[in-house]
Amino acid sequence: MPRYFFNLRYGHGPDKLSVDPEGDELPDLNAVRMHALHSARDLIARSRTDAVRDWFVCSYEIEDEDCRQLLTVPFTDTVPDDGDDGTF
Amino acid sequence: MARVQQSDVRNRLLKAMTSDDFALVQPHLQLVDLPIKYALIEPDIPVPHLYFLESGISSATMKGAEGHVEVGLAGWEGLSGAVPVLLGNDRIPHDNFMQVAGHGLRIGTEALCAAVEESPSLRTLLLRYVQTEFVQARQTAYVNATYTTELRLARWLLMCHDRVDGDDLPVKHEFLAVMLGVQRTGVTLALQVLEGAGRIRGRRGRITVTNRELLEQLAGDSYGAAEAEYARLIEGA
Repeated sequence: MPRYFFNLRYGHGPDKLSVDPEGDELPDLNAVRMHALHSARDLIARSRTDAVRDWFVCSYEIEDEDCRQLLTVPFTDTVPDDGDDGTF
Repeated sequence: MARVQQSDVRNRLLKAMTSDDFALVQPHLQLVDLPIKYALIEPDIPVPHLYFLESGISSATMKGAEGHVEVGLAGWEGLSGAVPVLLGNDRIPHDNFMQVAGHGLRIGTEALCAAVEESPSLRTLLLRYVQTEFVQARQTAYVNATYTTELRLARWLLMCHDRVDGDDLPVKHEFLAVMLGVQRTGVTLALQVLEGAGRIRGRRGRITVTNRELLEQLAGDSYGAAEAEYARLIEGA
């Protein structure tokens, strides 16, 4: 399985990117996106850190082993859009 | 094989024993290599041996639906299996395995039970050790409920640093994520915060403690109480 690196963007500029040195092996981009959303939800729900005041400004900038940026998953994607299912 | 001498051991419990108590356990001690992932205790089955760790680091972990999380950590101050066996039981629901390879002095459960039956002072010492495990676990619960990932990481790194020779800790971010019950990316971010402040230096698969004093300042009251309790109970500090 290919390995994907989940770089954590937590502000503007190069010093606000936490580069993932280890990565995760996942079957395809759909699995990558699901993993990113799961990880983001867990950070939002349970993690406190001095570096991040607001998890919802964060995103995952996901790269493959050749450092090609494949996908950006904003942490706001963990919240369904208004009206997605029409009910409250 | 030559018997191990009390003057040669590094385990702080073996060192703290009276020479009479050490003589009771000495014939039963067997030096064993403890490679990484070696299971000292498996959950929910009788503990066949206890291990006085001489080097390396072991973790007690809780395996649940959300994965593994560390609930206890020991090194050369420790005796795996002390909690069930000294309390008159034979098993615990957590596993306990080596996370940093080392070696230990192993004793059969029956031999240890016979020794503590014979010597009230040995039983007292090892029960005091059981108390230190409780104190550490309660400290962990407090820290997990209260503090940021950076601070919890600082405490964990200090606890590891106490149990290795030198300043290099052979741990990957993925492993730290399991130990702290945090997403790996959260650990990576916290390590970068500590590194930016000059407390540690990270390399592939290794973390070097570069300024322990700064790490202790950050850890604050999360670190130290359990360590002081060990020194008081076991070494009379």
